[in-house]
Amino acid sequence: MLDLARVQKELQECNKQIDVSGISIKPKGDRLTHLTGTIPGPLGTPYESGTFNIDIVLPDGYPFEPPRMQFATKVWHPNISSQSGAICLDILKDQWSPALTLKTALLSVQALLSAPEPDDPQDAVVAQQYLRDYQTFAGTARYWTETFARSSALGVEEKVQKLVEMGFPEALVRSTLESVGGDENMALEKLCSG
Amino acid sequence: MSSSEAEMGDDQTNRGFSMFLPVILGFNIASSPQSQEGDNRTVPEGFALINPLDGEMIVIEGTGTFDPSNREGPLPASKASIEAMPAVKVIEEGLECSICLGDFEVGGEAKEMPCKHRFHSGCIEKWLGIHGSCPVCRYKMPVDEGESGKGSDGDERENIGRRVEGEIRISFFFEN
Ligand SMILES: [Zn+2]
Ligand SMILES: [Zn+2]
Repeated sequence: MLDLARVQKELQECNKQIDVSGISIKPKGDRLTHLTGTIPGPLGTPYESGTFNIDIVLPDGYPFEPPRMQFATKVWHPNISSQSGAICLDILKDQWSPALTLKTALLSVQALLSAPEPDDPQDAVVAQQYLRDYQTFAGTARYWTETFARSSALGVEEKVQKLVEMGFPEALVRSTLESVGGDENMALEKLCSG
Repeated sequence: MSSSEAEMGDDQTNRGFSMFLPVILGFNIASSPQSQEGDNRTVPEGFALINPLDGEMIVIEGTGTFDPSNREGPLPASKASIEAMPAVKVIEEGLECSICLGDFEVGGEAKEMPCKHRFHSGCIEKWLGIHGSCPVCRYKMPVDEGESGKGSDGDERENIGRRVEGEIRISFFFEN
């Protein structure tokens, strides 16, 4: 049986520290077996400024069995399938320990984004590109981040409208939003200071 | 173009692939026991196919991991070592069992592993029945060589087996 008390406690703890870690976990439906984890792309990587959603399924045996995690957001990375989002990470397989949590597992996934291991690939084509032509790899990874993982892709019109209603000219709002990667708070700051 | 699957559909790759098949040299790269072997399954851990003409190599993995530290797989701790763990009285307040994340009851008992990490007895006994290492520091408990799959832990071992079943990945390495 799934340890629901533990899962509930985990969600509370994780979402309490969302300001610090940027990592959140939300139930997908009313049961706690399907969840969505969200991690920010690490700074200084091609995933920077992306927001990545990860599908989480908890098996009955959790926490004695690892959570099943895969990327719902498309990502270009040697250890993540560019097709299915499957993740090659030892702690999600035979190195799982019940002292790990959904949050620490998501932190490990985030660390994997910073430190790919192309010698143990999940996506052979990406790994090959990473090893042979890092510049092209980084360019593709950045492009995928821009295209699929920008939070601005969702509701950008709403953000524009909101800022225009505050009295800023639409063209300026659009260019400012774009320059800060769609973050409306950063855009507002910039609009106010500029 | 963006994946191995797509590239497989590519004409040129297909041609290379079919030319390649008759001259495959295969060898088994599995040499040490892994989790599946404990379950008496015969899936090879992985093997490499090499085209002697151009040195192209395909590695087909059964389990998807090459980390040498993983080689032992999850073996349960021996019954004797589980029973030998002392029960210690919990005197401090606010300590939590890192398996269930529940608090220890002050005045209650916890089981202490040889590495000194403490857990609820039910929690740690269940884990050690699947995987003979400390959840916190991975201290390795003694394992029973001949006893795998026997006894009440049989169900759990089966779960673990199902978890890795069918996970076959294909990796391509090209050497010029
Ligand atoms: Zn416990
Ligand atoms: Zn320990």
